[in-house]
Amino acid sequence: MPEPILRCDDVALTYRAADHPDRTVLRGVTLAVAPGEAVSLVGRSGSGKSSLLHLAAGIAVPTAGRVLLAGHDLGSGSERERTLWRRDTVGLVFQFFHLLPHLSVAENVALPGWLGGLAGREVQARTADLLDRVGLADRAADPVGRLSGGEMQRVALCRALLRRPPLVLADEPTGSLDDTTGREVMDLLLALTRAEGGALLFVTHSRQLAAAADRTLRLVDGRLEPERTA
Amino acid sequence: MIRYLGRSLRQQLRRSRTLFLLTVVGVALGVASVVAIQTLNRGALQAFDGSVRAVSGQADLTVTGTIPTLDESLLPVVLADPDVTGAWPLLRLDVAVHGRDGLYLDLVGFDVFAPVSYPLIGGDGAGDDAGRLLSEALTVPGWAALTPEFAAGQGWAVGDSVTVSSGSRLAELTIGALVDFKSFEPLAPRRLAVMDIAWAQALLGRPGQVHQIDVTLVPGADADRVAARLAAVLGPGVRVLTPEQRRQDASGLLAAFRLNLTALSLISVFVGLFLVLTAVQAALVRRRTEFGVLRSVGATPRQVLGLILAEAAVVGVVGVALGVPLGWLAALRNLDSVSGTLTSIYVLEGIETLTLPPAVILLAAAVGLCGALIGAVGPALDMARRDPGTLLAPLHLHRRTSGTAGRLAAGALGLAGAATGWFLLAGRDLRAGGFVYGFLMMVSLPLVVPLVVRTITAPVRPRGLGLALSLRNLAVRLQTTSLAVAALAVTASMLVGITILIGSFRATLVTWLDTTIRADVYISTPSWVRAGNDAFLDRPLLDELSARPGVRAVEEQRRLRVRTADGRQLVWLNGVRFAGVAGAELAGRLPLVGGDPYLVVAKLERGGVLIGEPLARKGGYAPGDTLVLAGADGPVALPIAGVAYDYTSEGGTAFVLMPTLIAAFGPTAPNNAALFLDAELDPDEVAAALAADYAGRPLVFRSNRTLRTEVLGIFDQTFAVTRTLQVMALLIAVCGVSLTLLIQARERAGELALLRALGATRRQVFGLFLGEGTAMGALGLVLGLGGGVGLAALLILVINRVWFGWTIQPAWPGAALLGQAALVLAAAAAAAVYPALRAGLSDAGGLTRDDL
Ligand SMILES: Nc1ncnc2c1ncn2[C@@H]1O[C@H](COP(=O)(O)OP(=O)(O)OP(=O)(O)O)[C@@H](O)[C@H]1O
Ligand SMILES: [Mg+2]
Repeated sequence: MPEPILRCDDVALTYRAADHPDRTVLRGVTLAVAPGEAVSLVGRSGSGKSSLLHLAAGIAVPTAGRVLLAGHDLGSGSERERTLWRRDTVGLVFQFFHLLPHLSVAENVALPGWLGGLAGREVQARTADLLDRVGLADRAADPVGRLSGGEMQRVALCRALLRRPPLVLADEPTGSLDDTTGREVMDLLLALTRAEGGALLFVTHSRQLAAAADRTLRLVDGRLEPERTA
Repeated sequence: MIRYLGRSLRQQLRRSRTLFLLTVVGVALGVASVVAIQTLNRGALQAFDGSVRAVSGQADLTVTGTIPTLDESLLPVVLADPDVTGAWPLLRLDVAVHGRDGLYLDLVGFDVFAPVSYPLIGGDGAGDDAGRLLSEALTVPGWAALTPEFAAGQGWAVGDSVTVSSGSRLAELTIGALVDFKSFEPLAPRRLAVMDIAWAQALLGRPGQVHQIDVTLVPGADADRVAARLAAVLGPGVRVLTPEQRRQDASGLLAAFRLNLTALSLISVFVGLFLVLTAVQAALVRRRTEFGVLRSVGATPRQVLGLILAEAAVVGVVGVALGVPLGWLAALRNLDSVSGTLTSIYVLEGIETLTLPPAVILLAAAVGLCGALIGAVGPALDMARRDPGTLLAPLHLHRRTSGTAGRLAAGALGLAGAATGWFLLAGRDLRAGGFVYGFLMMVSLPLVVPLVVRTITAPVRPRGLGLALSLRNLAVRLQTTSLAVAALAVTASMLVGITILIGSFRATLVTWLDTTIRADVYISTPSWVRAGNDAFLDRPLLDELSARPGVRAVEEQRRLRVRTADGRQLVWLNGVRFAGVAGAELAGRLPLVGGDPYLVVAKLERGGVLIGEPLARKGGYAPGDTLVLAGADGPVALPIAGVAYDYTSEGGTAFVLMPTLIAAFGPTAPNNAALFLDAELDPDEVAAALAADYAGRPLVFRSNRTLRTEVLGIFDQTFAVTRTLQVMALLIAVCGVSLTLLIQARERAGELALLRALGATRRQVFGLFLGEGTAMGALGLVLGLGGGVGLAALLILVINRVWFGWTIQPAWPGAALLGQAALVLAAAAAAAVYPALRAGLSDAGGLTRDDL
């Protein structure tokens, strides 16, 4: 088996804050995501799905255990190192799109390229290519505010894929969309990541969408249920 | 509601301490600049007042000569008036303390037998009888009484002797007593000293001379009526003034100077307004929901309005509390330079001590409080008028304004157009018209800011992290951005306008100095600085100098402080004798406004007068007119030969040849002299040699180069206080940048969290904000350059001409302007550092559903 792109070894996450008691939201989580693999993550609200994705992206650090992202131990990296690992390895898709309203469609897609200091022409070409593949080539110059929800999420997909990340993390990417649109966006996400050879770890509440993945992980009160083979 | 106010204030403070602080600092700086200027302005007048009250406080009227000295024989005439109960002569002479650079005594020679008493204290302290001291004053040669402060400052005690100089003459004084003016006049100058008038006349070579006669009247007499009567019998060479008129004289002299500073300090207040506006607006955007809830639980719009205004008032009060001491410090810091300007340019009393009068504190409180309220009232009304429903619904304030940018700009154009129309039709003829016009233009400048910012930023297409992205970020938050940019634009206008003015003025002055300072070595006396026309060079000295080898010619100058015959205009009349200087050489040195220099010289030789430009403007004189001056024995009419540029004084100056002066005002010794040397001699060396040869004599020798440097030094000193004001305004504007960016760092938490989630490093977010600060600086600068050039034109072509009467050749002080531009940009960037650091701290984990 090739080296997994994401590995969690006996990971725990406890939120600590001065003004309220500690809250352990993940415990003993062990998992591995292989390159090119599509994995869905399900669980009840509050079970810790988003928290796990935050750990995987290096946005949060585990309180115990290890998270390895493309071989980097996130817990041992500095804040800056984690940021750079995330920038270069992970594409993120959110339930609420999180597009910047003052930038155009193409500019939103290009943003990770800007952050990575890539050459302008390269970013432009890649942006155009991705927008074309999600069917939004003609909207490139529009402000994102004019797009529908499904279109916005497609733009967000392009943004996540711009740098050909080996791992895409998507937190309820269809959560703000109606069923049909959600289905379309999910298909696009799967198709695009597969085409680019990236792995995908996505959270969903839909059994049907979860089934589209190679396998499904289930979180219950911060613990991963043993996997059932599909 | 009051209880709620207390809570919400505490809450605001806890959550936005920096925001609150920045706003307070902005208000405080605005208040401080007003306090500083008003304190100095008042100090200038009070210094004069203090000296008048200390010396002549017991008099109802003062008789002075239109040429400074009076004849003693006028005293019986004054006493003959039925309403006059007492009259006594005073000799007023500024003398330099020999051997102590820059130390002067304001010597008052008074008549020991006159019904005037000064608070004398003997050497052995209390219990002295005035009779003994006064008889000592008569019998001890050079007996003088100094103020305790002055004596203590020099380490002198009663019984010590002090050498002073008046002109080139030395005199020995004996400290016979102390005179405690401060005991009844707190603002009395320390340097006042009194002595018997007869001794003063004898020792200082002023036999029979008197400078003023102080008069007391019968109780209930109408001082103005008596003054008019006395003036009629005493003749045209005499002015009779009430204390109030003397004060008005001084304040009239300083009017332009004071008004200019006041106007500048108001710019700071204006800039401070933007800060308050920014802060209040931001706070309100953040607290919409709070107000929505308040309204929905039954608070009336008026209560909400009251709450917001009360919070602004708190900012105002704290700002005032900080601003008053700050302004006081700024005033103290500038005391020396303003004092120097008063003595060197206006020949008035320098400011020794500053006081902070309650009136200034009240004014400061009013400015700070009103400023804060005016800044807050717009957004507060807006917030109070909304119904709870819209307050609770999400809103993007920034989108709304982009539509109004055009309307605001149209309003600005309308205002500017109307102001220009008014100025051209009517304002030009008003003395304050230029100021009003300038103010209106300054008000319209901020109104065009949103449109300009939008127009400049619209075509910007970001192609990466960088300035373009920063500009885009600013453009979408047009409302807050515009306020900060407007504050910067107004400040930059002021910086640029004044820099151009000063640069042009200095360049003009340098050219003028090149034309007029043509002699090689200039000779004057230590007391000249203060006494001016009353410090003389003695004849034997001049003869010695002209006989000195290498001296080709000696030029003598006598300066007389006279008035026009109508009494309205003060004129410094300079009589010049050009011994051995050819007429052609003279013609080349006249900085004429127009006309043929040879013709002018010919007219001067026939008894004509060359008048300075400010006098020509203020008196409405032109060549060919007659200048009528009040002489001791009647009006003196002088045909005006020409008008020359003159920057020595904003009042009137005039030049005649010495024979003309003597014919009109009698024979006198010169105040100054200048030497023309043989070409091969170095003026600096000769000046040094002369200083060595005359060591011990009260004489000052300056080479032309030194003189020039000193004149420019005085010029720079005059503008020192302006620089302080510029710095204050810049600080306020910079606070505005910090404030705006801090607000944005908070409002854009979601955007920043997203950027961080997408892999933006802290440094990149920091850079983005730094770029935004710099971009604001650049936008403000662009607008400020435009405004500044306009302001400079107004200052140079209108305000200066009306108020000071000088022609200033516009010049482009490139280096200074570049420096200023760099300063504005650097300041804006520096202001962005803290908000950028804060923004950089934002965390990718902060992404939540409402964020974007
Ligand atoms: N910053 C935080 N501090 C404290 N507790 C937190 C924090 N973030 C999340 N939690 C808590 O951790 C638990 C797991 O949250 P998480 O967002 O991971 O759940 P989730 O499975 O994504 O739920 P949902 O399906 O509703 O999105 C929740 O109980 C939540 O309240
Ligand atoms: Mg979640």
